[in-house]
Amino acid sequence: MAEPDERSRAIIEGIESIDPRYVLHLPSSTLVEIINHMLDRPNTITFPIPREEEGVGILAGLELAGAKAVAIIQDNGIGNLLTALTTFPMAYHIPQFYVVSRRGGLNEYNSMIHIICEKVEDILDAADVRYFSLDGRTPIDQWAPTVQKAYDYSRVTHRPVMLLVNLMGG
Amino acid sequence: MAEEFTRMEALTVIDSVFPNDPVIVNVGAAIREMAAAVGVKPNHLHILDSMGLPPAIGLGLAMGLAESRFEKIVTVEGDGGMLMGFSILSTIGMLRPEKLVLVIIDNGTYGSTGNQPTASEHTDFAAVARACGMEARDVAGADELRVALTEAKSLRAPIMIRARVSTKTAKTPYFLKDPVVLADTFRRYISAGSA
Repeated sequence: MAEPDERSRAIIEGIESIDPRYVLHLPSSTLVEIINHMLDRPNTITFPIPREEEGVGILAGLELAGAKAVAIIQDNGIGNLLTALTTFPMAYHIPQFYVVSRRGGLNEYNSMIHIICEKVEDILDAADVRYFSLDGRTPIDQWAPTVQKAYDYSRVTHRPVMLLVNLMGG
Repeated sequence: MAEEFTRMEALTVIDSVFPNDPVIVNVGAAIREMAAAVGVKPNHLHILDSMGLPPAIGLGLAMGLAESRFEKIVTVEGDGGMLMGFSILSTIGMLRPEKLVLVIIDNGTYGSTGNQPTASEHTDFAAVARACGMEARDVAGADELRVALTEAKSLRAPIMIRARVSTKTAKTPYFLKDPVVLADTFRRYISAGSA
């Protein structure tokens, strides 16, 4: 099984292939390698957003302006963005791409985060939000290409797409 | 006097100062009044039901259109929408998009839902914006708003303009445009002006 740092490197490789001008991120201990890489990346403006729904709005504005952007968030914040996501980019057919770190599974160290994280797929299904998943069932050599493909799928289908990535070993 | 200055008049002033630049119009009554006052224009993005989101959308647009031919990116929000979250002001202050003009049309109430009072009377919006690193003006009346908007054109920094208006809401029909069409129309307008 691939180690988490190998998985993070694969996600970085995938985001590099997208070559975003802007990267928005929430704080996340599991995403730290990816966020730090993007902060150091030349010609990419990487900045923090304090809440997920704020990212929904900023991503939408960037997309309407023709700027390439990616958001990096953690799945326990999904509840914050659903109303913004469904009432604006989904309703207006504005593509967006989110890399979403999974929590609450194998190797989890937090005693309560699983309560929402274990239900994230159900929540996204109920809201009709399209997502793909990368975890231990996916060969590591498929991770980076999947990042690019999931991003492309958001453009092809004119809507937000999330890529749920398990960086904790599950 | 603020009591004599209506939201619809404020929206008309905004359109007259920025007739061709992108304008994001916030939810409900403001959209209906803007459409009734100046028509449904391709440079207007109507945010039908995402209260509180327009400042974030405007920030993204202003960053993405920094090198465009547009002078400014105008975002209209109400006091109720702005009070949903001040954190976007910190993000704006951090990123400092020079073209962003954020206009808070403050009638002191949730005007689209029956004029229930907001906390705006107790909130110095301009002071909050300044504390977050933005320029800010507090205006009352059409003339002051027009002056502030015109001055904003030459400013190379994000600015918030809080315009106090009365609680009067014009009688207007429902605005039932397809959001997909609204976004596509706006995107085409932006794309034509981005080069």
